[in-house]
Amino acid sequence: MKMTRRTFLKDAGIFVAALGLEPVWLPKMADALEDMAYGRAPILWLQGLSCSGCSVSLLNSESPGPADLITRYLSLYFHQTLSAATGPAAKDAVERAIAKGGYILVVEGAVPLTLKEACKFADENFADQLLRAARSAQAVVSTGTCAAFGGIPAAPPNLTGAAGVDAALKQAGLRRPLINLPGCPAHPAWIVGTLMQVLKVGMPDLDAHLRPKIFYDHLLHEQCPLFALYQKKHFAENLGEEGCLFKMGCQGVITQADCSLRGWNGGVSWCIRGRSNCIGCARPEFALDPRFAFFRLNEENLF
Amino acid sequence: MAKIVLDPVTRIEGHLRIETQVAAGRVTEAWSKGEMFRGFEALLQGRDPLDAPVITQRICGVCPISHALSSCKAIESATGLNVPANGRYLRNLILGANYLQSHILHFYHLSALDFVHVEALLDYSGRDPVLLDLKHWAQSELNTNRVLPVAPFLPKLPGDYAQNAQWNLGALSNYVEALDIRREAHRMAALVGGKMPHAATLVPGGVTCATDADMLEDFRSRLRRVRRFIERCYIPDVLQAARLYPEYATVGRGVARFLSYGVFDEESTTWMPAGTLNGRGHERLDLSLIHEDTTTGFYRGNHKSHPQNAPSPIPQTDKPRAYSWLKAPRYNGLSYEVGPLARIMVAAAAGEPSIVDPLTDFLREARLGQDQLASTLGRHAARAFEAQLIAARMENWLDAVTPGAPAILPYQNSDAGNGVGLIEAPRGALGHWISLKSGRIGSYQCIVPSTWNFSPRDGDQNPGPVESALVGTAVNPEFKGLEVARVVRSFDPCIACAVH
Ligand code: SF4
Ligand code: SF4
Repeated sequence: MKMTRRTFLKDAGIFVAALGLEPVWLPKMADALEDMAYGRAPILWLQGLSCSGCSVSLLNSESPGPADLITRYLSLYFHQTLSAATGPAAKDAVERAIAKGGYILVVEGAVPLTLKEACKFADENFADQLLRAARSAQAVVSTGTCAAFGGIPAAPPNLTGAAGVDAALKQAGLRRPLINLPGCPAHPAWIVGTLMQVLKVGMPDLDAHLRPKIFYDHLLHEQCPLFALYQKKHFAENLGEEGCLFKMGCQGVITQADCSLRGWNGGVSWCIRGRSNCIGCARPEFALDPRFAFFRLNEENLF
Repeated sequence: MAKIVLDPVTRIEGHLRIETQVAAGRVTEAWSKGEMFRGFEALLQGRDPLDAPVITQRICGVCPISHALSSCKAIESATGLNVPANGRYLRNLILGANYLQSHILHFYHLSALDFVHVEALLDYSGRDPVLLDLKHWAQSELNTNRVLPVAPFLPKLPGDYAQNAQWNLGALSNYVEALDIRREAHRMAALVGGKMPHAATLVPGGVTCATDADMLEDFRSRLRRVRRFIERCYIPDVLQAARLYPEYATVGRGVARFLSYGVFDEESTTWMPAGTLNGRGHERLDLSLIHEDTTTGFYRGNHKSHPQNAPSPIPQTDKPRAYSWLKAPRYNGLSYEVGPLARIMVAAAAGEPSIVDPLTDFLREARLGQDQLASTLGRHAARAFEAQLIAARMENWLDAVTPGAPAILPYQNSDAGNGVGLIEAPRGALGHWISLKSGRIGSYQCIVPSTWNFSPRDGDQNPGPVESALVGTAVNPEFKGLEVARVVRSFDPCIACAVH
């Protein structure tokens, strides 16, 4: 199973289809994979105030699968959950990567901007490490809602001053090409697709929140398989009931993400197929307003 | 006296720093330092109770299910809500599936690289396509002038890695396969949970997803695949590790006190029993004996509080004697180890036949005495054994689900009430304590498995379980702490959980 052009074309084919691209993209994507396979895709993956859920989500990638990703397509210079290097060897690996530069910096987790000691790595505050790493990066990819917009750690009272990477770079007056991939966690196809595109094609088309339009362009509600029930006003009234979940507080009506088309975990299911609300995990405002409950059983929940 | 500092400890979950004092080639003292704090307990206050399972499962991307279920149980206990049998078994299935992905991830992707000589790959001359692929990749990396070739497998700490080629290559090949198997276990969990990590369907009263025969059969066939891997690879690899590294059956013993809340609800009780062990055989759990001590944590005040009435944490980083973001949980004033080892020890002491009998066979094959289980090796063995047991038990739970029958009872909020939700996460005893006030969350406290295991010293300066387990570990200064990392990782640290 040596790597051949055919392997790359096959993987690229799955990919182009998954991203909804035109077939003319096929050779370009195969090139991208080939480049990645020959080690021209260095990734420095750092974790701030995170739960590691986006790292776990990356390992759920379907095409390419996790083994191909780690050993072939991505060159993970450093990844806190996967790197063999530990202790002094880990610190050294990160320093060597930063000194060399040119990688894509993937950040997972929010940045504690006021209580900087709330996240440390090898005796250095993560907030400072992030700036050093961002300076030498060719691009920054904020993976997950925490890294993109602060996420749950930024919900009030926000004891650490948690904020997204974009806010942290702005505060330091640092401008880098930056992409936000919100989602709690981010979908593996959003992560892998974005990395491939940045590496070979360049920066993707971004919306006002710096999200790639290809994944975040449409309201979930408009693509929801229950939309017909919504129009017929067939609503679920209790947890676990059949029907459109609008009256339970489903946030599909205000959330831009393609879960309803893509599904999760190899397409075996997704939130609404599990008869549960879209809780708007890909929204910039996710979890931030304590008055805005995820399930709105006790109110006349209209937006 | 020399000092060994491991910072960051990688291949764990979250930010951990371990410091040890070494004299005459052995660790004499150790400090476990949690290096991250987010403030979950404070941000839950004032929110709608149904927000709690959604938010608390985001404490951890590796064991979100345990947090979601602990939270649901806390709310159910505060509001007097029951869960129908279907809901209970579906919860067991999603929790079980997540145990399997977590245990497999821990052994192959987080721990194995401490014991496997990765470079053995370069001498490989066989025909296995996975290994050949890996070898070519590693060679092409080494032939370039890349700054970090063969990352993330290299660089690594120097050490006494195994010289056994069969083990090295087998473990590497299984590392690759385990990536697919772990993902398959997540697909199983997503069948019930909607998505993983961070499921959608777990709410107080049960599980929202519908069950039909197709879904159950889909789950069953995926389970068979994962189960085959456990029997064919995971168990033999752990047995082989026991043969190659026999000294680790005596390293990292720890406090030898164990606690389990019990887990996997069946008819009227949990399949894995609750209880504590402290040298006198199985004892019943008394929740009133639990408290958390904040003396050495970066929090204002030196509290010793039961979680039901603990104050919400206020960070204070310049506090004298404080060195970790973890609090120090104690049971009856003592530190206790939690996790798969604790669950198996408690179950064995309680005489649970479905666990005791297979354990005897397993230990015979591993050539481990039951008293050697409390060790670095024993923790890995207990985890693998537990994965095998759970995978087998899941078939019973699948049989117990009735397609189409309700899996949920209607939720009704209460104005006031206190509740506790106890469960076992893959890493050990997990408890959520909630109080409701005017229909909102008045207070919320979590005591998490790694908070027990990685606890710092308490107000009486007594160390936590890992701090104790490290003492006496022989270290070669040239290895820069590899032996320490092995002991630490056997506890499967999750520091994001531990601090939250
Ligand atoms: S379930 Fe949610 S996203 Fe789907 S149609 Fe109803 S309101 Fe819209
Ligand atoms: S459906 Fe909504 S809550 Fe679920 S993953 Fe997509 S954006 Fe997040």
